Amino acid sequence: MHAVRGPGRGVFWLALFIAVIALVAAGCGSSGDNNTSTSGNASTAAKSPTTAATPAAPLDTPDPQPAVAPRSGGSGTPIKLAIMSECKGAFGAFDNQNMAGAVSALSQFAGAKPKDPNNPRAGFTGGAIGDHPIKLVGVGCGDDSSDTAIKEVRRLMEQLDADVMVGPLSGDESIAVANYAKDHPDKTFVDGSAGAQDTTLKVQAPNFFRFNGDGAQWNAGLGDIAYNKLGWKTAAVVADDYSFAWTSAAGFIAEFCAAGGQVTKRVFPPLNTTDYSSYAQQMPTDVDGTFVAVGGAGLIPFLKAYEQAKGPIDAKKFMGNLFWGTPGQFEQLGPRVAGAYIGGAGTAGDLDTPAAQDYATNIIGKWFKSFKPGGDAASQAPSTFTYGYYLNTWGLIKGLEEVKGDISDQSKLQAALAKVELPAPYGTVKLDANRQAIFTVYDQQLYMNNGKLAVKTVSAIPNVDQTFGGTFSATTPAPGRNSPGCEKRDLPWLGKSTPVKVVGAS
Amino acid sequence: MSWTRRSRLTPDRVAGTVLVLLALFAPLIFSEYWVATLLTQMLFLGIVAASLIFLSAYGGMVSLAQTAIYGVAGFALGNLTTNGNTKGLNLGWAEFPGIVVALGVALIVALVFGALSSRSYGIYFLMITLVLSVIANLFFGQVTSVSGFGGISGIPIPDFLSRTAHPDRLYFATLAVALIVYVALRYVARTPFGLTLQGIRDDPVRMSSLGYNVTLHRMLAFTFAGFIAAIGGILFVWWNAQIAPSTIGLSATIDVLVIAVIGGLYRLEGAWLGALVFVVINNYAPDIGFISERFHTLIGVIFLVIVLVSPNGLIGLWERVTAGRRRAIPGDITQERGSAEPTPVG
Repeated sequence: MHAVRGPGRGVFWLALFIAVIALVAAGCGSSGDNNTSTSGNASTAAKSPTTAATPAAPLDTPDPQPAVAPRSGGSGTPIKLAIMSECKGAFGAFDNQNMAGAVSALSQFAGAKPKDPNNPRAGFTGGAIGDHPIKLVGVGCGDDSSDTAIKEVRRLMEQLDADVMVGPLSGDESIAVANYAKDHPDKTFVDGSAGAQDTTLKVQAPNFFRFNGDGAQWNAGLGDIAYNKLGWKTAAVVADDYSFAWTSAAGFIAEFCAAGGQVTKRVFPPLNTTDYSSYAQQMPTDVDGTFVAVGGAGLIPFLKAYEQAKGPIDAKKFMGNLFWGTPGQFEQLGPRVAGAYIGGAGTAGDLDTPAAQDYATNIIGKWFKSFKPGGDAASQAPSTFTYGYYLNTWGLIKGLEEVKGDISDQSKLQAALAKVELPAPYGTVKLDANRQAIFTVYDQQLYMNNGKLAVKTVSAIPNVDQTFGGTFSATTPAPGRNSPGCEKRDLPWLGKSTPVKVVGAS
Repeated sequence: MSWTRRSRLTPDRVAGTVLVLLALFAPLIFSEYWVATLLTQMLFLGIVAASLIFLSAYGGMVSLAQTAIYGVAGFALGNLTTNGNTKGLNLGWAEFPGIVVALGVALIVALVFGALSSRSYGIYFLMITLVLSVIANLFFGQVTSVSGFGGISGIPIPDFLSRTAHPDRLYFATLAVALIVYVALRYVARTPFGLTLQGIRDDPVRMSSLGYNVTLHRMLAFTFAGFIAAIGGILFVWWNAQIAPSTIGLSATIDVLVIAVIGGLYRLEGAWLGALVFVVINNYAPDIGFISERFHTLIGVIFLVIVLVSPNGLIGLWERVTAGRRRAIPGDITQERGSAEPTPVG
């Protein structure tokens, strides 16, 4: 006879085993939440008095953008907006920077108001395009994996029925979202700050727009500096093993090799690695320099592991990507990296133009006072994440204005978005045929300012496009562990970067 | 009322019929989001959990490798059918040859996994399958020629099943496959192979003494269950259009086990019941302020409560209720005839 038994010992042990495994898994999942400490007194790029080698007028100086009057719309159909941010994983610490950028753009250009000036994630009230109120239906929480991104995007776009979305933050997430966008032509997507090359160059979703650069664009100029200014002939590259870092490394490799250098070693630790010692051991010391594209929560552990394995870092032999200059993170780098050149990711907080300074103090610093991880809001304006979400949200608002907020036919919005040109704080941003930004890239250098590490902008390269002067195309291999290869070739901006005038220049 | 008629109207059969009818008419009752997203997800996760329950209930094998095999099928299909816009091999095959080869690859992997693990029992079997699952996860995370960290995006779905063709078609296809899987699993359990498997579950030494090849039976059962899980993997990538190593990570592996335990580890129906509970909580928990990102804590609490209150899961609760009713009927023939259902593990 069949009967239901009580709990046997097997079930008990099974339950106990699963509970232990679940606890371990939960512990792993939360590791990214506290990966960057709050640094309320962080020195800021925007405020640091710096010295530029040759102060010169910026190449492209859009005017500051005044705020529109507060508004909340009328009887028009609400525009349902979703924001895909990041609150876990290697980049979870930048959640509030993302949200601050998006909410500031909505406040500045669509008449919204942040709910809490110290908590960007709380969202906003009000805001409208014409007669159509903007309604924030949800904020997604990514963890840098494409899997979670798609799950969250489904929740935002299908369950909460958003019309338009801003985000995501990270490379592989954006490739997945762009592919998702292709299958949902009745919705419109603008990027957050994700910089994988494939997202726009390969996927080419007609309804996915990116007003920020990709990782390769963000490093334009670094290879030139390494070869021609620092005299590196050989270099090693270490980068996270995923799409964005591959793209970031591709920018350096393509340019360094184009100038005549040789990349002799490439090391790719998996994203979310916690112990980098085995990867640090693989780094060669018989090269002239090392380019580091380990980002987010991994950067500091990697550099520590490197010093333990190979000795103190010599700044003249190191270059970094955007994470070496991201407010809220770079302050934790030791003084030994002072002097290292870094990719500016299209931002230049110390740029001496009214628009750049107005963006920090009268836009981000106006709508927010303080938020994690960097503390003071204005000082986090030049963060790639704040700026990326700001630009993309602003681009979306401009597109919505073109159609007067009427998104009953999203193809009209998408056609309008493709033509949007942003008079952005660090230079005009326009889109190419794949809906990818063309913009001015800045190269920066870490230096010590009153005993604290700070960032100064040293040069600019205007109109950097995603093809990297013809190096990349839809048919060339996507950036990866072995691509691009290392070959000497022509790059339009080699030897042509321009010095820029920065705040406090003497 | 004759006993025959009464046996036809057992609570299980009435409830089963009602649920199948409800599933058939779901698009008329629930929103498009519920049907195309939640219920479809419930059905394919249920298929994967059913493969685990089959192994557990009829073979006494609690496997943690089902998610890995499900992932192998998904990655194989992704590599075979994508065309140039994503990571992986981008072979650009048509969907149907892709399915056949993907299922074939998963079947071979399941056979190898089965061969490696079928000599182990109990906690050792659990640990070996966990190791195999972790190996699969790391393989796809590290081997960038077939996936890499970001996984494969833009996996095409046959046109006639796509949401642009009709939002409910994939749901109905998944429902049909789930029903076929359910029937097939029940059928296999009643074949001589299934009965032998149950004998091995209860006493492998005695079955071995009787001349049965215990290891071979366990290996074949594992391979068969792996094939079922692989079907779930194909449906998953059609539903999600994307698969990444995190899809088959430790968390996802545990999720399938949690689904099976919540539903009830010893009856196939529990798979879909557990999947429904899991999917609904997974979907709505982030919207509840104080739970938000504490989803795993919530599901863990539910898991513990279920294990403590009803070790046989929600199906166990249902059986307690219906067994109580049956006991109230004097001379209930179904009580005396017993049941072909397996006894709970442990």
